Amino acid sequence: MAAKASAVERQSGRIKDSNQKRILDEASRNRRARKALEALEQDNFHDDPHADLVMSKKIPKFQETIESRGSRKKKPKSAEYYKQRFRKSLAQMVEEDKNYMTGGTSYITAAVEASRYPDRHFCAVCGFPSNYTCVPCGARYCSVRCLGTHQDTRCLKWTA
Amino acid sequence: MIDNAYILDNGAYSAKVGLSCHEEPKIIPNCIMKAKSERQRPFIGNQIEDCRDASGLFYILPFTKGYLVNWDVQKTVWDYILSNDCCPSNFSESPVIITEPYFNFNPIKEAMSEIFFEEYECQSFLRVNAGDLSVYHYNHDNPGTLCVLLVETGYSFTHIVPYIQGKKIRNKIRRIDVGGKILTNHIKEIISYRQLHVMDETYVMNQVKEDCCFVSEDFSRDVEIARKKYPENTIVRDYALPDYTTIRRGYIRPLDSKEECNQQTIRLNIERFSVPEVLFHPSDLGINQMGIPEAIVRVIKSCPEETQPHLFNNILITGGCAAFPGFKTRVYNDVRSMAPYNCKVRVTVPDNPVTYAWHGGVLFSKDPKFYNYAVTKEEYEKEGHAVIFERFDEANLNFA
Repeated sequence: MAAKASAVERQSGRIKDSNQKRILDEASRNRRARKALEALEQDNFHDDPHADLVMSKKIPKFQETIESRGSRKKKPKSAEYYKQRFRKSLAQMVEEDKNYMTGGTSYITAAVEASRYPDRHFCAVCGFPSNYTCVPCGARYCSVRCLGTHQDTRCLKWTA
Repeated sequence: MIDNAYILDNGAYSAKVGLSCHEEPKIIPNCIMKAKSERQRPFIGNQIEDCRDASGLFYILPFTKGYLVNWDVQKTVWDYILSNDCCPSNFSESPVIITEPYFNFNPIKEAMSEIFFEEYECQSFLRVNAGDLSVYHYNHDNPGTLCVLLVETGYSFTHIVPYIQGKKIRNKIRRIDVGGKILTNHIKEIISYRQLHVMDETYVMNQVKEDCCFVSEDFSRDVEIARKKYPENTIVRDYALPDYTTIRRGYIRPLDSKEECNQQTIRLNIERFSVPEVLFHPSDLGINQMGIPEAIVRVIKSCPEETQPHLFNNILITGGCAAFPGFKTRVYNDVRSMAPYNCKVRVTVPDNPVTYAWHGGVLFSKDPKFYNYAVTKEEYEKEGHAVIFERFDEANLNFA
């Protein structure tokens, strides 16, 4: 009985720790990376500050519209008309393009291939070249100090 | 010869617009913006110059990933551009040249023709890739050029396009999904994490990027410089952010400046060159694509062997990202190291890489060829979209 207990005690503290640590699997790491890339494509980080306001429909704008140029009688169509008229999303058009373009290069096949050279790695905290990888989440870090910041702020805190 | 062609280089971030008799185009942000401080109205295009407080601007863009999809936004911006407040024109007399991205989608092309012929009632119309006009400009400046390798690095992405005797080789065009937008969002992200929350300040951070960033000519050397402390570190800068009461535009502040400064400042060190570096190594951000120099060499190597020396000798770089200092030297160094030793490598970055295509449009509108290429209203009314596709898309126009 006593011998058993001492065997447990003798085990390294770090091994015990590592068994308890949550380690992100490959799929969720990829999902995180994809989310980070999508964030880089965003137009705005914040929400429309005046989303609740109806903008300017009744406020006179005091500017000449195209209507008043020349002697045309035709009434210009509103922006809203064109929104309704041409409402295909990018994803739809890419899909149609794929069917239409048989052979030849199209939007999808024009994307350049991966580099022949290995990836470089930079510390997720300070941006300098890094040699180490955070075990739970796979982020890169360069020093114990940066690792500490990383664990305090980001590591596993963005649950994706 | 005409001098009143209306030339609209309709970029995803800014539209470059003017008549061919103008010296320079107007550069109009191609978007609608809403400011926190002004509840009354949205700002269209360059109306933003009237806005007293541009902090926390909210952008509404007509383009998504480089392609025109939000037509209500685009129509509003175009209406403003064509109004007397901006750049008016009489379309019953002026022919129109408008640009589109490579691999533009058919519904977008049809919508463009429809709006210009039916809504704006223009008499004749030519739709081209902005790169075609840049190449025409280059050929005009360098007579006798046989091939051009165009690198167009804009807001949404970067295209690498070989032109052989004035015609683009569509099947060899390659795209890198890195452009100015990703760079701005990236600098926003890293500054917000490391120093000050600026995620809402796209407008200001874009200015920071334009004012401070440069392309490193020797990345590992610059990293070592950035590790040092200030007097030895020749890269680090402070940047005073605008507060829109005393300063309206941010500026670079010397680190040893004695003058009192109550402004919020951010310190830029490795960020100054690691941000544009993404164009050369997209994998730094986890984008699984090769960078510009490697892609240039890859595209040239895929072209017929007899054209390769000419392509290496005529590399032309245009678009907003080409305005980073050091771009030309870096591309030259990297391509030189990968090119065959007996090939001459020459890289050209125009003085103003943003308006280069527009000026090409001015030159092209004076070329007799222009009349054969443009489609008139009568032709459109008689034959519809078919004649436009035939002329602009299937014919592979020559821009020698």
